[in-house]
Amino acid sequence: MSTTDRTGACLCGAVRFTASAVRSDYGACHCEMCRRWTGSVFLGVSVPEGDLIWEGSENIRRYVSSDWAERAWCDRCGANLWYAVTVDGPHKGTLEIPLGLFDDPNGFELQRELYFDIAPDSFAIAGERQKMTAEETRRRFGGEATP
Amino acid sequence: MTCTTGGCLCAAVRYTLADAPDHYDACHCSMCRKTSGGVGFGINVPDGGITWEGAENIGIYKSSEWAERAFCKICGSSLYYRMPGDGERPDFLSLAAGSLDDLEGLTMTTEIYIEAKPSGHAFAGDTKKMTEADVIAAFGGS
Repeated sequence: MSTTDRTGACLCGAVRFTASAVRSDYGACHCEMCRRWTGSVFLGVSVPEGDLIWEGSENIRRYVSSDWAERAWCDRCGANLWYAVTVDGPHKGTLEIPLGLFDDPNGFELQRELYFDIAPDSFAIAGERQKMTAEETRRRFGGEATP
Repeated sequence: MTCTTGGCLCAAVRYTLADAPDHYDACHCSMCRKTSGGVGFGINVPDGGITWEGAENIGIYKSSEWAERAFCKICGSSLYYRMPGDGERPDFLSLAAGSLDDLEGLTMTTEIYIEAKPSGHAFAGDTKKMTEADVIAAFGGS
């Protein structure tokens, strides 16, 4: 899989990041929490925490959105900054960075859709890819906190 | 009958719409992309057509000379894009469609700033597609 170094920022530029060796794939999440948080659909690129260098981190605010995850945003402009699994397991330590934050959001490929079975029926993303239901998604990412 | 209530992820901000919406539009512009993290879904709400609860939790960012974007200060949810009225022009508010409690019965009608859409995804179906130039021609430069 190809990787490249990429930069990005929130809407107002108060928070910036440099990410090294960024993968070219991203995922979409249709869960109710992501829908309300983004106002649409969450599009996330997985980046290990250690591959990110942040500037302006004093402007980052965090919200514990469930027993197994947190969400961060810029306190000045409200731009979503990341979703991260916080329970111990293989996904801890990886941030899901919104595709839209990258200065160049092109050159990525959408490879999976999560909570596919509860997506609003008013839109669909064209093409075929891995699709996981709510139950399958929870089993894969929720770890011990999964009901 | 579509839904007229909604709110942010943490429910610190809630609202009721006077009229049930029947559609929303998608915006791929770089500012909507940055604030939502990907694509903005907006419902046009007529001036005075929304009642807020928990408005003290709404954070406002002035994103240009003529417009502002709002978010929940507790959970960071995107809430709306707004061009305040100036006495002659009424308030224009585009509500984040995903904040509705239920999107059942709505359709996505138009995609704007289509030329700015990231190359990795595209919506299926035959939405009306408008470029920035089309938008400016239809709605004015500012």
